[in-house]
Amino acid sequence: MSLVFKPEETFRGDYSYRNSDAAILRFPFPFPEDRYMYSVNIEPHVRSGPTDAFCRPFDIDEHYIAECRDRALTLELDPGRCQVLPHMMTAQWDTLELLMENLAADYPEQFSLTKEGDVFGSRWTWINRPLGIEQHFIFGDPDTLPCEPFEYITRQAQGDFAICDQREDNLYLDAGMITSQADWSLAFNVGMNFMEWHGPVPLAHQAGVFERALKYLLMLRLGQPVRRLNWTMSINPRLDTSPESYPEWGPDRASVTVENAGGKVHLRVELQTLWRLPRSNAILFPIRCFLISIEELARVPKWGKRLYRVLSSLPPELAEYKGLTRYLPATLAWLAPLDDSAQLATGIGPDITELAPL
Amino acid sequence: MIGDTLELIVVAVDDIASSLRHVRLAAAGGGPLPPAAAGANIQLRLQGAARTWRNAYSLISPPGRRDAYEIIVRRVPESRGGSAFVHEVLKPGDRLVASWPSNLFAPQRTARHHLMIAGGIGITPFLSYVADFAHSGASHALHVCCRESETGTFAPWLQACGELHHYWDADGHRLDIPALLARQPAGTHLYVCGPAALNDEVIQAAANAGWPASHVHCEHFGAALSGGTPFTAFLSRSGIEVEVGESESLLEAIERVGAAAPCLCRGGACGVCVTRVLEGEPEHRDHYLGAAEREGGELIMPCVSRARSTRLVLDL
Amino acid sequence: MMQSQIVSRPRYRDLAAEDTAGTHLLIVEGDTLAAGQMAALATAFAVVAARLQTWLVSAPATALAPGRVRRLHTVEEARTALEHIEDGFGIADRLYLQGTEPFMWSLATAAGRAGLSPTQIRMQHAGSLKRRVWCTHCHQTTENVTTNIATCAGCARALLVRDHFSRRLGAFMGVMVDAEVPGEVPQREEVFR
Repeated sequence: MSLVFKPEETFRGDYSYRNSDAAILRFPFPFPEDRYMYSVNIEPHVRSGPTDAFCRPFDIDEHYIAECRDRALTLELDPGRCQVLPHMMTAQWDTLELLMENLAADYPEQFSLTKEGDVFGSRWTWINRPLGIEQHFIFGDPDTLPCEPFEYITRQAQGDFAICDQREDNLYLDAGMITSQADWSLAFNVGMNFMEWHGPVPLAHQAGVFERALKYLLMLRLGQPVRRLNWTMSINPRLDTSPESYPEWGPDRASVTVENAGGKVHLRVELQTLWRLPRSNAILFPIRCFLISIEELARVPKWGKRLYRVLSSLPPELAEYKGLTRYLPATLAWLAPLDDSAQLATGIGPDITELAPL
Repeated sequence: MIGDTLELIVVAVDDIASSLRHVRLAAAGGGPLPPAAAGANIQLRLQGAARTWRNAYSLISPPGRRDAYEIIVRRVPESRGGSAFVHEVLKPGDRLVASWPSNLFAPQRTARHHLMIAGGIGITPFLSYVADFAHSGASHALHVCCRESETGTFAPWLQACGELHHYWDADGHRLDIPALLARQPAGTHLYVCGPAALNDEVIQAAANAGWPASHVHCEHFGAALSGGTPFTAFLSRSGIEVEVGESESLLEAIERVGAAAPCLCRGGACGVCVTRVLEGEPEHRDHYLGAAEREGGELIMPCVSRARSTRLVLDL
Repeated sequence: MMQSQIVSRPRYRDLAAEDTAGTHLLIVEGDTLAAGQMAALATAFAVVAARLQTWLVSAPATALAPGRVRRLHTVEEARTALEHIEDGFGIADRLYLQGTEPFMWSLATAAGRAGLSPTQIRMQHAGSLKRRVWCTHCHQTTENVTTNIATCAGCARALLVRDHFSRRLGAFMGVMVDAEVPGEVPQREEVFR
């Protein structure tokens, strides 16, 4: 697959981010049906899926360079978006190895990894052509990298990453590189266990969703990663929608009209994967964020109609929790004309191979 | 780094003591093996002439080693044949299928001090712990209860061990468990792995001494090695009736007749194989079900548990 | 406000001694002591009286307490004392705290740094429901918050005081309440008196 990067795209300020036709068609649209309901929607993370975005262990796309730049900018403004508790060093190295091995294997034109050995103390060389990096280092020795291994490699990957330490029949959020989150604070949540950090999510606790999810994750096996989708919406293609910077992006929610909704309102989908890490026995939780304006999304007729149906039947508590309430009416007004009430196929796929013209 | 099973080849076997065999395994196709954590185990599929065993063994190789896995297998006199197979039949060049490493006994990364108590062959998970702690610099102490003649057996794997003590059953050489447990600082985590009697004694002593339960960890060794009275199991969904022999587990019998039964640890700890009992009375030998669930008699862990009644009907 | 939609919000129970062989340290916020409460505590801790130390923080000079008593003036003093316990804490030691939430969590976090695990610490709420609030924007904490909307002591933003609680910080989360429409601030109500 050939990748044409768009390094000058922005996720703030003039928001020049746009999706190419190919990027639209590979988007991980999250709704297989016309109504949305919480579930433990976990499945094996295999090399196939409804769209191309699912098909690689760690996915990169045309936005790779621009996203890495945006992450660097966010970290400069707020270094607290990357936190690692002291006992997580082994998990850091596990993460670096996992990302480097998979990126080099799946994108050989962009990345190379050469190892003189597999154990701590071996000399490795990592080449990242899109970012112009060539790094020689000793696997297991943090002093041979410009910063600690987790920060080092996640600055070169798309999406957020959290590492959970497994202990006391629970998972503890003990490390994170979180610059594209949907409104939760790493600085506040770091160190919390699974039930604590999910505390604010409405409705799901009564349904026992989190108990079952935790039991399942505690048994996650090495070599058997899983995945699920999560979704929300954002105004403008802004990656940094953290509580920290809420004063900057919050006002945008009140700026939406039915005239400008098409270009402003974005569907924000997280392709979340979960990996057992080999030496630390921790769990790596990558959260790969995909953004698409509803105007771009509407070029897939099935998706435009289905999004309208999902949003118009969404429980108010869920809309409130996801922060949609203020601009939901304008969004629905923009989407409504798309829906012809036709029966839609279940499933996530676009069901077309070429887009309708704009 | 995605996969389900590993094809391994036996590189070397070495009898390090009269009943202990060290086995070194590499990837059959060459190439690196998945790295493993301290406390990890692999499940080997041992194919004998008359039957197949699936036995789990602790990896004793230093965590992260990808060129080979090492295990130490004790010859168990009352075994159902798996360990006998390893001692008598397995030889260099043999190929076998293994699971990827899995781990139900990983060290607690937040501990300020790791206190390990090992009994006999139960020392094996701690050999990988010690290698891990030697690299990370974590504070640790290993207390080994064994026969006096065996105090040197594991020396090659304990070179880097911080604090090491041996005990055996003679005056002045026994481990005073309550005394050891009473003097530990806050932030210490206790790990015990050995015969059931030692495990139970340590766990009870820790509770008596005021240890928080979340700081006490145990890997159960040898729980499933002994069989029991034969019984019949009827799998109601597949309509298959199976005779469970005295030296095979209920799970092994189910697998033998080709029925699908999910499992993971095969030691009664992880909960993956939990099955509903529709008729009959289970004999629980697991570490997963709660007291109420055991008394209710509606659930069973087929990997280790058996039947009190002559027949069980299972929802499989 | 001890009950909440947020299931992870800490809950507190009446203190009772756990009879272990270690040291038992009871720390009480003196001005939350109701009449007769000390007598009730003495009964609850009778079984470990021989191994009990009680620290009274800002209590009246006449206040009596079970066990070996030490008087401290401020929670900061108590926090420093916890961090400098001679010989450190043992695995069988227990810490019991009584007072307002900010008082208890100042000491619980210090005890955690000194090696105690959460299972070795018990808490009983007494006195005001006032909260310590952590500002998501400037990361400063604001003390003595009794209202649902608080002014951040660090950046002066109006913060909605949420029930989402961090045990590591010992504080509740505060998020700017009028970010979407600046100036649109709901009525302030004294809900944590």
